[in-house]
Amino acid sequence: MTAYNTIAFDPSRCELCNDCDACITACAQVKSGSDDPLHSRIKIVAGFNGNPPELALCRQCGDPECVKSCPSTALTKNPDTGLIDWEKSLCVDCLLCTVGCSYGGITYNATLQHVAKCDLCDGDPACVKACPSGALSYITSASIFNEQHEREDLFVPGLSACQGCNSEMIMRHSLRKVGPDTVLATPPGCIPGMGSVGFNGTTGTKVPVFHPLLTNTASMLAGLKKQYNRMGRNVTAMALAGDGGAGDVGFQSLSGAAERNDQILFICVDNEGYMNTGMQASGSTSYGSWTTTTPVGSEMKGKRTSQKNLAMIMMNHNCEYVATASTAFVEDYYEKLDKALAASERGFAYLHIYSPCPTGWRFPSSQTIEVCRKGVETNFAPLWEYERGGDLHFTHPIDNPLPVEAYLNLSGKYRHVNEEQLACIQQQVNERVRTLKRYAGLN
Amino acid sequence: MATPALKLKHPGCAQSIVCDGNEAAAWAVALARPDVVAVYPITPQSSLVEYVSQFIADGKIEAELMNVEGEHSVLSALHGAALAGGRTYTATCGPGLAFMFEPYWRTPGMRLPIVASLVTRDGITPQCVWGGQQDAMTMKETGWIQIYCETVQEVLDTTVMAYRIAEHHDVMLPVNICHDGNYLSYGVTQVEVPEQSAVDDYLGEKNINWHVALDPLRPMAVDPLTGGAGGPGPAKFVAYRKGLCQGMQNALGVIEQAHADWADIFGRDYAPLVEEYRLDDADYALVTIGSMTGAAKDAVDSARERGRKVGLIKIKTFRPFPVAAMTRALRKVRAVGVVDRSVHYGWDCGPLYQEVLSCLYRAGQPIAAGSFIGGLAGADLTEGHFARAIERTAQLLAGDEFDSPVWLNEHD
Repeated sequence: MTAYNTIAFDPSRCELCNDCDACITACAQVKSGSDDPLHSRIKIVAGFNGNPPELALCRQCGDPECVKSCPSTALTKNPDTGLIDWEKSLCVDCLLCTVGCSYGGITYNATLQHVAKCDLCDGDPACVKACPSGALSYITSASIFNEQHEREDLFVPGLSACQGCNSEMIMRHSLRKVGPDTVLATPPGCIPGMGSVGFNGTTGTKVPVFHPLLTNTASMLAGLKKQYNRMGRNVTAMALAGDGGAGDVGFQSLSGAAERNDQILFICVDNEGYMNTGMQASGSTSYGSWTTTTPVGSEMKGKRTSQKNLAMIMMNHNCEYVATASTAFVEDYYEKLDKALAASERGFAYLHIYSPCPTGWRFPSSQTIEVCRKGVETNFAPLWEYERGGDLHFTHPIDNPLPVEAYLNLSGKYRHVNEEQLACIQQQVNERVRTLKRYAGLN
Repeated sequence: MATPALKLKHPGCAQSIVCDGNEAAAWAVALARPDVVAVYPITPQSSLVEYVSQFIADGKIEAELMNVEGEHSVLSALHGAALAGGRTYTATCGPGLAFMFEPYWRTPGMRLPIVASLVTRDGITPQCVWGGQQDAMTMKETGWIQIYCETVQEVLDTTVMAYRIAEHHDVMLPVNICHDGNYLSYGVTQVEVPEQSAVDDYLGEKNINWHVALDPLRPMAVDPLTGGAGGPGPAKFVAYRKGLCQGMQNALGVIEQAHADWADIFGRDYAPLVEEYRLDDADYALVTIGSMTGAAKDAVDSARERGRKVGLIKIKTFRPFPVAAMTRALRKVRAVGVVDRSVHYGWDCGPLYQEVLSCLYRAGQPIAAGSFIGGLAGADLTEGHFARAIERTAQLLAGDEFDSPVWLNEHD
């Protein structure tokens, strides 16, 4: 199965309100030689009541309703290209497809007297080239699925994570990629708490899995790896730890293993606190956050100190590979996971994943990825990587970051934040990016 | 000028050297051929891990040396190595042992046959870097086997034996070989170093993780959450606890066999659990532990010359407590003075004394017993101190009992 291509649309960048019809005109030109928008197979529909504009265009669906509606097999899903092909000689002009499609992706052209739909211009869509604002882009979709779907999910179904849990997604993605020749250590926290190590004789993991102390994950894996090296066996020593087990009480063993450059793949799933035990604050809890041990009252308005930046601290160990990641940018994460896995054969590799927690941060479980995304787009959680001996490198640079409120407003844990605290958080974000840019040699 | 070779007295020995107890332990480590050694220095253990590190640097020990950032990680690294099938070693004491506590008290429950020397050191505070057994005694309820040595040669021999004991399939428990800080760690004497091939035969094929492993070829979850009311948890938890207790009891016989076989091969015959010294015709006895025993035996000899019918009971294996052997010995006398190198705060006595009282109850023998505490913080316990203890124990026998401990170095 190959990756499919499609056209993505970012309404926030669309210039429709400026009467830009560049995509529509370009499509009409290519398909009919005229500027008549009637011939365009792409339409931009104005949003009502202040909503953003919407795209009417064939999505080249994986499970296309138009194909299912077609009584004459004129519409088919091309297994090689992924395109929905329309064959004029088979079409009976019944228009059922236009009813089946929810996206306005196939419509009747009264001039031509038959339906017309996007064919992606043989891989070089005219609309995308014509778009002046970058609202349209031509992307490869499902690349992760296509690369990874045959790999086994090495966690069992039915782990008891909270609804919308980011950690569970990280775990499943990560171990699926790292593979079965792995020993996984996961210290006390949400990850074993959801049953990955198991309860009373059961287990939730299909590779050897250990419940180390909250304090000793890295050193325990270091000893294990030494013994496998001695036996000449290639076994990946992998940690999935929370921010407390990595950066607070577990920090000494983490730092020691990084200093020794022990061959470990250490993944820190940072949900900014002790969420498994009821949302207590950790050293990773951000300034102003409500937690059960940094409560909001008349004398205290959430956490009074800043979070420690564990990823930067790890970078300063000069270990083999350090990167930050976010599940809103999973392709970026997979690239980093590849590099980290390779680096863990040479030495210590550390991945720091921002992991918003719907339960502890007080946002709806449907919003996890949106919180992740806004974290990156406000520069609250910048995405970067560092390889031993090199410079820091931004993997998804945000040139025009959204104000940090766009991120804070999504989570109840910042609900009480006042103007002064907000200014302080924005300043911290700015300073952190400035520091990172220095490491990147950008200023 | 050529140095004349020191004369060997026993079969199965390769060479005779002059060294202190820390170096003797390092020689034992070399003979046991560990896979992974993790070290962090602390007085008075430091020279031990220096010797081991140098032996690894010189190729005398072919092991992975891990210089980790603290005792907590030392034992954690050994957990990982043992779960991957490695034979492991470390050494610590005092505050280092305290810092190690979190992984330390988990080790027996995972049944990892790790061997660690405790170069015993007194507890702080007052701040103190000298010998004393407060560190080891504080750990007596954690499920580690504890064996206390009397001499430098015994340190070497018992440290090798520790692997045989720990890795025995009926035991599978970690072992602390305790040797007294200062007196054994730095006391220099002639020792015989066994033949490598004889030790290899003695220890046999190692199989560290047959029972619990982190190995992709045998995937399992190690230490999932167990217990809680309802469901299968409580019964499972009890099964693990009972198993550990059974392993400790099994160790008594294994320790005896390990010593008997050692004597057969190498000619040195130590009492594995409890040593009885001039006890058969004794009216009363001292009970001792560790390196103090030499001076105590001298004091017993002197007292015997003065016609006193005194003997001595030395405990070598303190955990598991050799109830039967100790009870057998105690039945021979009518009063005991128990000398501890540490304090049992809760009972205002020494911890060994407290255990002796339990044995006397078990024996149905309510004889007079008194607690002596000495040798704290590196203080010397001389023949003179033991002579006083013998006299005071004789008074016990005559009916002059006392409740609070006698602090032997109080007026030094």
